[in-house]
Amino acid sequence: MNEVLKSLKEFPKHLMTGVSYMIPVVVAGGMLFAFGVILSGHAATPTEGFPGGLATIGIAGLTLFIPIMGGYIAYSMADRPGIAPGIIAAYLANSIGAGFIGAMIGGVLAGCVVILLKQIKVKQEIASIMPIFVIPILGSFVAGGLIYWVIGTPIASLMTSLSNFLKGMSGGSKFLFGIINGMMYAFDMGGAMNKTAYTFSMGMMNEGIYWPQGINTVACATPPLGMALAVLLNKKKYTQKEQTMGISSLLMGCVGITEGAIPFAVKDPLRVIPSVMLGSAVGGGLAAALGLESTIAWDSFVALPGINKPLIFLLCLAIGCVVTAVTVNLLKKEVVEDVEAE
Amino acid sequence: MNIVAVCACPSGVAHTYMACEGLECAAKKRKASIKVETQGAMGIENAITAAEVAAADFVILTNDVKIRDVERFSGKPVYYISSNDAIRKSEKIIENIVTELGIA
Repeated sequence: MNEVLKSLKEFPKHLMTGVSYMIPVVVAGGMLFAFGVILSGHAATPTEGFPGGLATIGIAGLTLFIPIMGGYIAYSMADRPGIAPGIIAAYLANSIGAGFIGAMIGGVLAGCVVILLKQIKVKQEIASIMPIFVIPILGSFVAGGLIYWVIGTPIASLMTSLSNFLKGMSGGSKFLFGIINGMMYAFDMGGAMNKTAYTFSMGMMNEGIYWPQGINTVACATPPLGMALAVLLNKKKYTQKEQTMGISSLLMGCVGITEGAIPFAVKDPLRVIPSVMLGSAVGGGLAAALGLESTIAWDSFVALPGINKPLIFLLCLAIGCVVTAVTVNLLKKEVVEDVEAE
Repeated sequence: MNIVAVCACPSGVAHTYMACEGLECAAKKRKASIKVETQGAMGIENAITAAEVAAADFVILTNDVKIRDVERFSGKPVYYISSNDAIRKSEKIIENIVTELGIA
């Protein structure tokens, strides 16, 4: 039992491990699905021809991402034997309506059960049947059973009220939600806080609510693009090395990698982090308030095919970038070249 | 002084490699030898060998996401740090570990 408690204390790490394995699945699924929809030329899931095939491949990925997350949460807790029970419990939780929260809990339950099962001491002769039969079967039965008979239904109703709450939000409260969510994306630029917000947005997409993802498309892109813009606007405030970083930051921003802004933040955290947070808060808040939605599980220009209002997207992105760039340039002093101690 | 370290992060594209760079720079300043394995989105790169583990004075691991194959470090002093700290405070961290272990 001690082992379980020890593992539960590291819950954020387990969640992040799950998310880290989930990301490629959701990116592949989301993008292929979106390309299928665009090629078909209709705003519906295509079923025929090449676009239909693309969409079907994409849907396979979108069906799998939640189970993968659950499986790798359990993997993080109980190593390899956790994967199978975790995937099964998470898939089950999602399919009975408990959504991504249920799937997360399913993954954690599977992890706990497998940690306990691994502690059972058995004779050498039968040791090999533990990982092949006992752990997968018992682990999936206990974790799956807890989801199916015990906690799945209450979580499902919680998810329904959460969905209804988010669906019913008005412009003003959406704006506030967008500000907070936007700051989360920018705060650690791709770290745990950013991924928590992203996971929530993925979970909501899974429930058919697409406006939290609209915030993501803007708020994840403004930190790197805003910093690149800041360099362009006033080169005197950046060293030669930082100006080169501006270019890579611009490229990373265009494909939606928030991490592009990190090098700036590492050098000057107290000025850069508040500036990117402010930019993402404004951009994210506006995106939510103006009804921006996205059906693609990624951000920035890469998500354009899945965005409902491309012009609003560009507007929010531009405003967010300008806010970041202007703020950071106001805070920064001009650099004296060649003093850089590196 | 020999150090081995493993870095990983949720998306495995930036923090992982910046943490690696942070640790390498800090070790270079102390003239310590370091081998940093990255477990990023491309999988394991610059893998640490058994001989390198055996020769290491201590091990630094990031604790953002699960690190694969930690068993190979058993018996060595292992320190868990966040990749953010590895990026920003590697020098200080290595300093503290060296003091704690009483090695030069």
